Amino acid sequence: MRRRDIVRRAGRSLRQAKARTLLTSLAIAVGAFTLTISIAAGEGSRQYADKLIGSNINPQALFIVKDKSVFEGSQTSTGVTEYDEDTITGHAAMGQQNVKQLTQADIDTLTKRSDLEAVQPIYNISMKYFQVQGVDKKYVAELSTYNDGVRSDTVAGSLPPLEKQINDTEVVVPESFGKTLGMSAADMVGKKITIVLERAASAPTNQQIQEILMTEGTAGLSKLTTGETKTVTYTISAVTKQASTSLTAQTEMLVANSQAKQLYDFMKSGTNTYQQYTGVTARAKSDFKPEDVKASLEKAGFGARTAKDLQNLLFTIVNILQGIVTGFGVLALFASVFGIINTQYISVLERTQQIGLMKALGMRSKDVAKLFRYEAAWIGFLGGAIGAGIAWGLGTWLNPWIMEQLSLGDGNYLLIFQPIPIALLIVALMIVAVVAGYFPARKAAKLDPIEALRTE
Amino acid sequence: MIEVRHVKKTYGKKQNKFVALDDVNFTIPDGASVAILGKSGSGKSTLMHAMSGLDRPEEGEVVIDGENILKLKAKAVDKFRATKMSFIFQSFFVQANETCYDNVSLPLEIARVPKRERRAKVQKALDAVELSDKIKSKARNLSGGQKQRLAIARAIVNEPTILFADEPTGNLDSTTGEVIENLLFDYNKKNGTTLIIVTHDPDLAKKCDMQLFIKDGKIASQVNEQKKPKVTKIPVSSRRAQ
Repeated sequence: MRRRDIVRRAGRSLRQAKARTLLTSLAIAVGAFTLTISIAAGEGSRQYADKLIGSNINPQALFIVKDKSVFEGSQTSTGVTEYDEDTITGHAAMGQQNVKQLTQADIDTLTKRSDLEAVQPIYNISMKYFQVQGVDKKYVAELSTYNDGVRSDTVAGSLPPLEKQINDTEVVVPESFGKTLGMSAADMVGKKITIVLERAASAPTNQQIQEILMTEGTAGLSKLTTGETKTVTYTISAVTKQASTSLTAQTEMLVANSQAKQLYDFMKSGTNTYQQYTGVTARAKSDFKPEDVKASLEKAGFGARTAKDLQNLLFTIVNILQGIVTGFGVLALFASVFGIINTQYISVLERTQQIGLMKALGMRSKDVAKLFRYEAAWIGFLGGAIGAGIAWGLGTWLNPWIMEQLSLGDGNYLLIFQPIPIALLIVALMIVAVVAGYFPARKAAKLDPIEALRTE
Repeated sequence: MIEVRHVKKTYGKKQNKFVALDDVNFTIPDGASVAILGKSGSGKSTLMHAMSGLDRPEEGEVVIDGENILKLKAKAVDKFRATKMSFIFQSFFVQANETCYDNVSLPLEIARVPKRERRAKVQKALDAVELSDKIKSKARNLSGGQKQRLAIARAIVNEPTILFADEPTGNLDSTTGEVIENLLFDYNKKNGTTLIIVTHDPDLAKKCDMQLFIKDGKIASQVNEQKKPKVTKIPVSSRRAQ
């Protein structure tokens, strides 16, 4: 029998049992629906992540550290590290690890490299407190360097373009500050912020204490143990938006690079970590690939992350979430497989005489099996088309609402439906259905025509 | 020519062993009409199944046009049935949900007849049984006699050389039954198709050229009718392309 005729007869058999065909298909449609949503959400998330990184991070940007364990997380660290005088020991109770620092010599090496530009150490500065003009209360916040490789959206004020630093007198604060300070974003712009830093006093030795008591008395001692303070004042030039398209941490106030360096040096001078840095940001020069620069940096004993690495990290998260949804879809599909087997078995029983007749008329067992497999394939196709169709329609209809709920920003749809993956999904479902129809088809093929045609 | 030689078929094993056919021998000339008579369980249906290759007896030969179909592989036997044989059953076995066209078209599809040739053949077969006006009707809307006529159309559409009829009038009243009988014998005479009817109706059997009485799996007697029918025989080879 020709394939086309078998397919046609298979389709006709299904049409003659419409309700049963439809119900069996609906079981697959549930799986198909879930899988389509999962594919669409995965695609949407990936495109979103791409957009996020593309619009926020210079693709040439690199984050360089001395200690690769910064990137590796705790899973790979052994808990024991070799002692190094350049390593600062964090508070074990705070869960901090020993992080090997970049020295000024390292910074110089990096700056001299022909494949890097805009090498900038990251300064993390802890302040004593800050005060905003017109507000009496004192507050504490993180202070960091303005990163010109990442551009944030602003609610008020303005930021320089990518790769340009803010002025030395300026500070950028996140939108969230307004809530605590009780000010609107527009009000904050132009206000002065006074930041007070305090350098910890070095613990004096007994001999030092005795000496200072002898020469300056108790006043001298208290001066020695209270440390030193420094007061700086900046003007708020911009308030950054807490937007979902922004990747930077939104809780720090940001000052110009040169200012940050000054403050950092003040904080660290006299300590053993003076002129040492946890990491630096840099850019691969435009005629170098960031991946190649990364490899070369790693060879030179540094650790490095490219924009792509960050993207991959985001993708990993997306993939895990997608995997979970896919898992549910596959489970639903698994259940529907038994539905197909059941339906097809019943169909074989019901059509015993028809099968017997076809065999008596010379239809080959192989073709009988094919007939039932194609019926299963039709069911798979129908289920896939129904499930994917509903998912597509519903997703397209709900996309604007989802976008609003998740505040993704205009035009960023969570569910992106593409014809090719969906077509592949339907083909896969057809294959699953054919596999499910294998045993019923075999039963039909093995049917003895004499038994099938016995009427008594 | 169909030659049945020393055919033996048993069912079951050991103490449950039942001999359905026991050393059956006979020869049917081309174009003859043959009645296989016997009571229920006498082995007449088993004999038909053996002759059509649906069943495989343990011993013996069924030689059709010089070929022992019991020695053929399953694929070849299927092809043999698809192209050279046809069946009519007591219970019609027409597909109630399908149109008359699709019912009659089935053997053509099985025999891989190209689509463009099918319509003419189906039309011709339905004309022969006077059902051409029902070509688009669903088979379930036909009466019993019409259903059997449809079954005949399905049986003759691919111009078989051997037509098996298993109690073709068993489910029909005598008037309708006569119409069916006439159709079968006319077709047998006109086209020189060998007609083999399994029946327990002696009146129907009398109309055949040859009667085989089966009892307990053996040929009890063989009667050849006195007047040999004048058959306008067309050689098998020229009549069929396959």
